[in-house]
Amino acid sequence: MASGPGPTQDIEFTLNGKPVSRTASSRMLLIHFLRDELGLRGPKIGCDTGHCGACTVSYNGKTIKSCMALAVQADGAEIDTVESLAGESGDLDELQESFRENHGLQCGYCTSGVLMSAKFLLERNEKPTAEEIREAIHGNLCRCTGYVNIVKAISGAAHGDEGLALVERLNREHAKEVSA
Amino acid sequence: MLLAAVDYYRPDTLAEAVEALDSTEGARPLAGGQSLISILKLRAASVDLLVDISRLEDLRAIAVADDGSVRIGAGVTYDEMAMSPDLHRSHPRLSQVAAHTVDAQVRNRGTFGGNLCHNDPINNFPPVAVALEATMHVTGKDGDRDIAAADFFTGYFTNALSSDEILTGVTLPALNGRHMGYQEIEIGEAAARAVAVVATSNGNIESASVALGCLPIPVRRPQVEEALAGTPATADAVAEATAAAGEGIEPLSDADASADYRQAMASVVAKRAVMEAIEGGQNG
Amino acid sequence: MTAPAKEQTTTTTWTGQSLPRKEDERLLKAQGSFVDDEGMYRQGYAQFVRSPYAHAKILSVDVSKAEALPGVIATLTGDEVKAMTEPLFQFAPKEDGSQVNEYLLGVDIARYQGEGVALVLAETRGIAADAADLVEVEYEPLPVVTDGVAAAEPDAYVLHDSLGDNIAWKGLFDWGDIDWALENADHILKIDKLHFHRYSSTPIECNAVIVNWDPGTDMIRVVSNNQFPMFGALVIGPSMGVGTDQFDFVSQDIGGGFGIKINSYTSIGVLALLSRKAGRPVKWIETRTEHHQSGGHGNERTFLDIEVPVMADGTMLGFKMRAFDDAGAYLHYEPLGAVIWSQVVPGPYKFKHVQVDYTETLTNKCPAVPNRGYSRMQHLWFVERVIDLVAQELELDPVEVRKLNYVQPEDYPYTTPNGCVYDSGDLPQALDMVLEMIDYEGAKKLKADREGSGKRIGIGIGTTLDSGTNNFGQSRILNPELPFSGNGEACTALLDLYGEVMLKLGTNPQGQGHETTASQVAADILGMSPETIRVWTGFDKSHSTYIGFSGTYASQFAVTGINAVIGAVEKLKAEIIEVAAYAFEVEQDQVELVNGDARIIGNPEAAIPFIGIANMVFANNATLPHEMAERVSLTCRHVYVPPFELPDVEKKYGNLTLTYSTQTHAAVVEVDEETGKVEILDYAVVDDCGKRINPMVVEGQVHGATGLGIGAALKETFEYDEDGQLLNSNFLFYHAATAMDVPNIKTSHIESPSPFTGTGAKGMGEGGGAPLHTISAAIQNAIGPGKAIVSDSHNPPERVWRMLNWDGPAEERGVTVVSNGDGA
Repeated sequence: MASGPGPTQDIEFTLNGKPVSRTASSRMLLIHFLRDELGLRGPKIGCDTGHCGACTVSYNGKTIKSCMALAVQADGAEIDTVESLAGESGDLDELQESFRENHGLQCGYCTSGVLMSAKFLLERNEKPTAEEIREAIHGNLCRCTGYVNIVKAISGAAHGDEGLALVERLNREHAKEVSA
Repeated sequence: MLLAAVDYYRPDTLAEAVEALDSTEGARPLAGGQSLISILKLRAASVDLLVDISRLEDLRAIAVADDGSVRIGAGVTYDEMAMSPDLHRSHPRLSQVAAHTVDAQVRNRGTFGGNLCHNDPINNFPPVAVALEATMHVTGKDGDRDIAAADFFTGYFTNALSSDEILTGVTLPALNGRHMGYQEIEIGEAAARAVAVVATSNGNIESASVALGCLPIPVRRPQVEEALAGTPATADAVAEATAAAGEGIEPLSDADASADYRQAMASVVAKRAVMEAIEGGQNG
Repeated sequence: MTAPAKEQTTTTTWTGQSLPRKEDERLLKAQGSFVDDEGMYRQGYAQFVRSPYAHAKILSVDVSKAEALPGVIATLTGDEVKAMTEPLFQFAPKEDGSQVNEYLLGVDIARYQGEGVALVLAETRGIAADAADLVEVEYEPLPVVTDGVAAAEPDAYVLHDSLGDNIAWKGLFDWGDIDWALENADHILKIDKLHFHRYSSTPIECNAVIVNWDPGTDMIRVVSNNQFPMFGALVIGPSMGVGTDQFDFVSQDIGGGFGIKINSYTSIGVLALLSRKAGRPVKWIETRTEHHQSGGHGNERTFLDIEVPVMADGTMLGFKMRAFDDAGAYLHYEPLGAVIWSQVVPGPYKFKHVQVDYTETLTNKCPAVPNRGYSRMQHLWFVERVIDLVAQELELDPVEVRKLNYVQPEDYPYTTPNGCVYDSGDLPQALDMVLEMIDYEGAKKLKADREGSGKRIGIGIGTTLDSGTNNFGQSRILNPELPFSGNGEACTALLDLYGEVMLKLGTNPQGQGHETTASQVAADILGMSPETIRVWTGFDKSHSTYIGFSGTYASQFAVTGINAVIGAVEKLKAEIIEVAAYAFEVEQDQVELVNGDARIIGNPEAAIPFIGIANMVFANNATLPHEMAERVSLTCRHVYVPPFELPDVEKKYGNLTLTYSTQTHAAVVEVDEETGKVEILDYAVVDDCGKRINPMVVEGQVHGATGLGIGAALKETFEYDEDGQLLNSNFLFYHAATAMDVPNIKTSHIESPSPFTGTGAKGMGEGGGAPLHTISAAIQNAIGPGKAIVSDSHNPPERVWRMLNWDGPAEERGVTVVSNGDGA
């Protein structure tokens, strides 16, 4: 529905493990294709310029902002969105559960993108420090949480129950290091 | 947020890409798109055909030569630069810079070549290319040619490529014992940025290359380089030699910072970049 | 932090537990419903055509090319809107009746960059965008007014001829005897100018509306993320010539609001007109650039000619100043901000003598609208700046000056000079706690150690108040004719046919966890688990309960919303017990509710499940006495009304707010002398919001308000150039704080229950802008005495660098102390 007149392309790609075969307007952004053509709710739109990260999806195993790619560029790719996290059962996965337990979301609008960035981080770095978590999600804007409980939730998912303690200790150490 | 009508073509070979660019009015190459798509969304530029070069294998390799120089394909992403053991060995500071460029999502998509070609003053690699005296490899309808980094950047958002040409890769000379420093004032992406490549010996600076970014054209600072050559590699001497680094530059004034401030910061980042390079040498 | 795995019995107290939120599962699984996730059959997509000029005559609007584009359904111009509507209701016309004439779309003159001047409706978003580009508007630029102080000058170019000047509202607030205080003080501190900057909490979800004006029923169904729809209906209904009964407002999940999303009512109105004209539902999703240019900004305020009488021991008697609020081009919710600051006149201090000469002006900027901390944080920032400058200039300890001047624990309830009643608190203890959390002594030592290193340490304190539950009677101070006073909220508690407990709220939250906290307090009353209580999500006027104040704004749910829930659920409980007692043939006081059963106390065998109660009332009512069957509905509505009286509008005196949460913040920052860059090394908050219904939710609100304040203090600003062009039209130049900018925020709390709310809870969501106060103070502390003063609430590197490098003469510092005996 985001499309207007203009050239189109036939594209095929894998979305959350399932094949998709469609015609896409060449000018359509991937985010609009996912939302308006394929009916996904997870990736959100929060800006015009690729700064907010609410539209973050995984593209061939790496996160991208789906508002900064064209739908036609998805041809042949494997794309995963936040919809892929909860399994067939619909149960929250470990990361989502940690967000729930640690109040890592308020309005929930940025959450889909934050979860995808966190998942990408944890795939590369099983035990990230608080600083590494902050770096990994700094392409995702959140206006509700001050990021404190997001960092805690990701740390909790990575480090289990000691997550909070670890985050606080690392922050204290960081503060000393900066001021030493 | 919504692009004007545009056509899209993803060639399988570099030759096809050049052909498409040459034969179509209003055609532009699309690599990672982290700058270009943003511009198209704001309808700030009009393009008729996007030629997607992001999957061309010719553009996607990082290769170290015997002489220690490294060729980075224009289509290599920042993340691939950051994760490359070869680049980490040959140009460790550049590898680190790539690892902290913008954010994870942009690093996964944005390309080295796109960052250079786009030449937005906030882009971080143009002054790196200039300071390192990189060679830009270009392919067009008349064949291949090389452009020195110093001649590649021609102004705000512009470069020396003609409309049929594609930047395919960039060769960075070996550091050969020199070290690179990279310093910026982070406001937005950056309000001032300097890159220094310094050789030291016995506590003295043998040679230094200093370039400033956050300008329409990244510039070398020959007077600063001359002043640095032969001086002791100490904080005081470096501060004195870099004090005038901002002289004569014409930075932009915008919502982030005034030209006055940026000019004053030019010497701060130049000093810090040189000191970082010196300390890099001392640390091994 | 997980749900307590306690045995569910009547003795379980759910209120006060950090329960994970009921809302989260759907949001985490992308099963929430935000406006852009919704749609209506046959909807078209709307796009505004907006003025590129800050101020220009609209000479002509030609939509012919746009209408000729295939896929375009309809267009709407300002002239059409003018013909079919009346100007929007204004809160405070001047005595002679002159006022701003604003229509739902720009008419004749565009008064800010981004003002809508036409609309197009098309079959797709893309065609709508293309068509908007084809609308040809001829403009004639006019002189631009961007300075909120200069706008009040007699020779300023006038934006609204119908008003006669650029003064939206003007008034003198005068309490105590400031002249006496200035004559009798040992010292008078004079500050030339302080400036609180324009910014916004910029919710990540922009404004969004789907509206259908049904031609058959004349009902206007509005699916939107407006956070105060009843207010919007009151303003746009009369303009559109429709009754509020025609509006059906619907919202489910809202992607952040922070007050800014009160402002979308004008968009809702004009999109409804477009829907009527087109005969189709209209969907509009605001872009980020539109949101920054026209979605609404927080208030910018300038304080001039400040005089502060101080005694030798540091006791401050009050202050005198002139304040100018810049409302932007139209009055949206304004000029309420002109009086809302007076909820916190002395800040947390016992100042007795205050005089404020207040002016609100109109300029060629985006309209100012409520933004988290609305109107009070500007004033509280001013008060904290004054406190710190008094301490610095008189060489007093900023901690001791605060403790000396604070309202003391034994003073509560404390009546301020303008009649507001501070309910409870313990500020000295909060300050001691927060200083310990940042290791104040260690920080001072670090500061000394780092001298001469090129990196300076600054330590800052910010005490703030979060006044919650407005007395809308304060609007009469602006205009005694206004028929508004008091406040309130509604809730309906029901048993459904199979005995399920349901709550319907009047609020429409944006992440504050109302479903969770409402079910916690209801669970305690009904003796069941919160999990088994369904709180209907979001707001839908067709089924939700509401009053005129219903919405989610102004730090009040914990008081108004929760008390409405308690009242409604208590009524439901009484009905359940009445029916059960009849069935058991016992007295009502012999019945208790446990785990979804009504049972005879002391006899767990004698139990009727709620389904049995519901069955008797809804489907088996011949078993009940006829009188009871007609009276008992198991559908119990309660409206909570806080105990307010009308203020004295002449003296501008009265209790304007029911509760006052306090927050005490402290920060240690490092300032880079060469660059002016400020890094936060340590940050701590002590929060006191009385009794906490869900501490985890409260802490989340503290984090959020702190994060936004830190962003505003260091990175986020809306600035206009001299042509009235916004320099920060999207996130490229509006640097919303990222996870790298906000440090780990240490939190602790005190619970000083409010004596006025029944539950002891207080509203606390806004946070009072404390990080702005705190970081300004910390930067001032790093710069040190005798140098430039921090006179702006926004301190990006360049501004700090200029302060560090300032070496002008002492008389140009902008601050002086005149002592008694040298001519005071």
